[in-house]
Amino acid sequence: MEVSFAKEIEKLKLGDGETFEGEGILAVTKALLQSGVSYIGGYQGAPVSHLIDVMVQAAPQMAELGVHVEPCTNEASAAAMLGASIMYPVRGAVTWKSIVGTNVAADALSNLASPGVMGGTLIVVGEDFGEGSSVIQERTHAFAMKSTLCLMDPRPNLTSIVNAVETSFELSEASNTPVMMELRIRACHVQGSFQAKDNVAADISMTQLLAEPAPHVYEQLAHPPATFGHERKKSGERMQAARDFIRDRGLNELFEGRMHKDVGLIVQGGLYNALMRALEELGLADAAGNCDLPIMALNVVYPLVPDEITAFVEGKRAVMVLEEGQPEFIENEIGTILRRAGCDVTLAGKDIMPLAGEYSAPVLLEGVGAFLRRHLPSLGNVLGEQDYDAEVQGLKEQAARLLGAPVPPRPPGFCTGCPERPFFSALKLTEREIGKVHYSADIGCHAFATFAPFNFGNSILGYGMSLASNASVASFQKKPPLAVMGDGGFWHNGLLSGVASRLLNGGDGVLVIMKNGYTSATGTQEVISSPDPALKLKAAEKSATHGETTIEDALKGVGVKWQRTVHTYGVAKMRDTLLEAFRSPFKGLKVIVAEGECQLERQRRIKPIRAKALAAGERVARDRFGIDEDTCTGDHSCIRLSGCPTLTVKPASDPLKTDPVAHVTNGCVGCGLCGEVAHAATLCPSFWKATIISNPTWWDRAKARFSATLARGTVA
Amino acid sequence: MSDVVRILVAALGGEGGGVLTSWIVAAARAAGKEVQATSVPGVAQRTGSTSYYIEIAEPGQGAVFSLVPLPARIDVVLASELVEAARCMAGGFVSPDLTTLIASTNRVYSTAEKIKLGDGRYSENKMREAAQAMARTAHLLDLDALATANRTFISATMFGALMGADVLPWSDEVSLSVIGGNQASIDGARAAAEAVRNPMHAPDATAAAPAAMHLEGLPPEVQTIVGHGHDRTVDFQDAAYGQDYLTHVAGLAAVTDMADHRAVYALSEAARRLALWMAYEDVARVADLKTRPERFARIRDEAEVTPDQVLWVTEYLKPRAEEVADILPVGLGAWVMRRVARGRGLPFTGRGVHIRSNGVFGYRLLRLVAGMGRWRRRSFRFRAEMEDIAQWLEAMRTALGRDAGFASVLAELPRVLKGYSDTQQRGKAAYSKIMHGIVLPAIAAGQEAQTAQTLRHAVAAALADEDHAALDAILSGAEAPDPRIPNLRSA
Repeated sequence: MEVSFAKEIEKLKLGDGETFEGEGILAVTKALLQSGVSYIGGYQGAPVSHLIDVMVQAAPQMAELGVHVEPCTNEASAAAMLGASIMYPVRGAVTWKSIVGTNVAADALSNLASPGVMGGTLIVVGEDFGEGSSVIQERTHAFAMKSTLCLMDPRPNLTSIVNAVETSFELSEASNTPVMMELRIRACHVQGSFQAKDNVAADISMTQLLAEPAPHVYEQLAHPPATFGHERKKSGERMQAARDFIRDRGLNELFEGRMHKDVGLIVQGGLYNALMRALEELGLADAAGNCDLPIMALNVVYPLVPDEITAFVEGKRAVMVLEEGQPEFIENEIGTILRRAGCDVTLAGKDIMPLAGEYSAPVLLEGVGAFLRRHLPSLGNVLGEQDYDAEVQGLKEQAARLLGAPVPPRPPGFCTGCPERPFFSALKLTEREIGKVHYSADIGCHAFATFAPFNFGNSILGYGMSLASNASVASFQKKPPLAVMGDGGFWHNGLLSGVASRLLNGGDGVLVIMKNGYTSATGTQEVISSPDPALKLKAAEKSATHGETTIEDALKGVGVKWQRTVHTYGVAKMRDTLLEAFRSPFKGLKVIVAEGECQLERQRRIKPIRAKALAAGERVARDRFGIDEDTCTGDHSCIRLSGCPTLTVKPASDPLKTDPVAHVTNGCVGCGLCGEVAHAATLCPSFWKATIISNPTWWDRAKARFSATLARGTVA
Repeated sequence: MSDVVRILVAALGGEGGGVLTSWIVAAARAAGKEVQATSVPGVAQRTGSTSYYIEIAEPGQGAVFSLVPLPARIDVVLASELVEAARCMAGGFVSPDLTTLIASTNRVYSTAEKIKLGDGRYSENKMREAAQAMARTAHLLDLDALATANRTFISATMFGALMGADVLPWSDEVSLSVIGGNQASIDGARAAAEAVRNPMHAPDATAAAPAAMHLEGLPPEVQTIVGHGHDRTVDFQDAAYGQDYLTHVAGLAAVTDMADHRAVYALSEAARRLALWMAYEDVARVADLKTRPERFARIRDEAEVTPDQVLWVTEYLKPRAEEVADILPVGLGAWVMRRVARGRGLPFTGRGVHIRSNGVFGYRLLRLVAGMGRWRRRSFRFRAEMEDIAQWLEAMRTALGRDAGFASVLAELPRVLKGYSDTQQRGKAAYSKIMHGIVLPAIAAGQEAQTAQTLRHAVAAALADEDHAALDAILSGAEAPDPRIPNLRSA
């Protein structure tokens, strides 16, 4: 696992009255323990990966509390874990990245929501519409509505978030309904503080075992005819119980305005802080959150409580609903509530606000300004939101003029020493021989190959879905299509949706599985084929995924007839294997396992080994690559085949050369790709490898002295 | 308007922006302030641009903090790299009324800048000028170099620069107290704070002056380049070869109108490209350059090798039959190239070899190859290059006499001859297409002035992409191909 949470785990032990200081997602973790959960599970993905990582690293402390922790193989298995709370009064929580994870979990969620739960269940999902989002933009809200789940969207400060977690369990139990909580990425990563409480050990847990299983109650099975009763219950008495709880406990917050009581704003809790900043800019609020307009912050966005809505709009001419994402579910529901109640208050929302995109403070500023201009002209016409807009536009234009050209983009990319990069160099060289091939991309680090300098990929269809997504492409193309997926995607979905399906149908195609040993893009969590401690110990500085054959065995087991495993740093060998696959007379699934352990994990292992050896005065050899400036002509072919962050350019010190020359920075970890590519692509003779031996032995020194004597020219 | 201090940190993933943010948060707490910080990176988002946002307020106000920075309302923008500072300016986050901009001037080139065949770097001067114009106060200094000098990371010097800019509502002692026991980081932070408070102007590095050289009547800037060019050609072959170079330049100078600054520019660029071309890289040249003592000294320096360590240098070479033919006598070289054209090479060529150039065997072998340079004048490639150079010089002389604009682009044309093996072949193909498709017809028709713009576009296009799609579009006289669905079968 990438990050060590040793310090954070200490914070999970804080008790009554102590102050917790830390990250949002860790506050959620602490709140789960304060709520007396019996089990926690989930599948990694930004921004909730840290929750899983902390849980796994804190497993011993969790065990003391009797909490069972399970990093699941996908979101469906995480959601299905919640089945424990159907028949037992145990609290449980799971987490994943929405919307993609919720899609995968949807089947289990439907079957969970139908019978409802006895013990409180909470699903924490990461949700985002802005710069931080790495997936398609769809609303979790739709799932809450269709499966009848409660959906929390608390104000983004740690106290509110922690309260929301704790009340979620109560709400869940009061209404027998699973509860979801959506957290935006910045809320997950927010650094703040709250007053901690003691952790609570559950009555039923790993340490408090039940002697007997639950009774057979047919009504609690998601199976007809019980499901017909469930449908009535979940939309009827369970939702009513939820609404009563939300109203009685005051989960939604009302902020009375200091003036302008004839208009009002209804906002998702998660947007509250951005709205306050916008209002402050408009001169309608101060930094402490005292506001001139009445605001209703919905910490529970589904279900709404009709009485609360009608009470809020009473005496108002117009209200505006501010909700991120589309369609405007909350606005529609409020419209229905108002219409049924016969209210004639004007409802505004997505008629003014943009349908799509993040509701950042500037967006809210413009929208609220337009709303007030229309519905409260006496105030709206003196607002400064158009001045602000003009000021920002002016700054942007001035910058564009001064800079003279658009700022170059800088998307994330493969790490220095990443073992996946050499595969894409090999693929580029393969395409020089056979032309372009249809490339189905997948989710994971390898998706960075969609950016320059590789620019690979014709489609991305979801995690582990690359092979499945080109099943019919093979039928209308001369060359077999290529699918690339990671080992994370393979175990998440790819083995069944892709490999088994292709084998069942006897289709042609080439599948490349990047075997780096972990789900690296989310922070190197373990998968079933991760190298075990013994393999890591044996590998030491080498790739620990070499010799781990779970993937190969599984492929063989399901009946893959053509498979090769190639270490990614053998660029020429990888190119030749790819050529063999594409030119093979064998019409069927051809699988290449591209093996090379995640560099982050390998470096984490190497560093202490080397530091210890150096400290003990032992011989340590280290490689580093470089480029001869004299022979570099500045054509940058090497960069176009590599994209390594440490392979960059620098101004030529040669006064005759005007173009920058290639250069390797000191961040080089000596992975060897430069040299392999120079050879495989017949690039140029400018690359050198320096092998630096610390604490050399007498034999090393003797050889060096011998060379220095007989090759005198090497000594300046 | 608000007494909240708002700090936007712009950095690259994996640079330690998280550590920096946690220091700022810890220092704020230690000073008794209320603080909130957020970021957008996923756990593994590396090398891409990323940002961190911090708000600090006096305690007891119940401040509602924002999770998102508001353009034009940022007190401090702290950037770890110059283009990231430019990104903040382009986004409207730097305001002349409010913003203190602290930017490290080191460059981490983006892929988009690196992959160009020629020079794709974003203008540093413009970024510096924009920073001075757009910030209330701009502190531009190389925080990466300061970090290296103090054996720490850029997060530490960024933190120090923030201290030095006197924008934090607490003392340096409070800031330094949260760094913990790492003395290097504390030293780095102190050094950066000092550098911001007392900026000193480092003298510009000046290139070593070339050996004294005189060509009668040449402007000084041309003389400098000719001096370097002479040194280069003598180093490449011998004094006579250097004299050849001077003769060629003199031939160009004779037809240059020294009163026309465009013509003088064309002459100086031609002198530059001629020298680089005449000192082309064949195996003998590469072997020679790789076995010089100063080269090994440079590697020791670059790889930070200490005297008590042992260094071995391995070369990645892959000489093909073509490279062998290059250095063989004309007849023999032509025979080898005929074999290559028939798909047959030479034994022992076209294979990647690793040569330890500071080992006895590797060094001796490379020196042997370097020694072949003595017979270079009789070699296959030498004759081919001299023919091409003569043709280009002839065109240059004509062009200089007719149109300085055309001549100055023609002087740049040899720039497309870059690289080795396949890259070099593609460069030669582009050169030939431009020479025969544009230059020679223009000269024959006396249409230099009218063709200068097309030639300029063609050279730029040849340097834009590797497969010459842009160049072919220009040569065919067509606009860039219209965007269509790729691979769609035409009826």
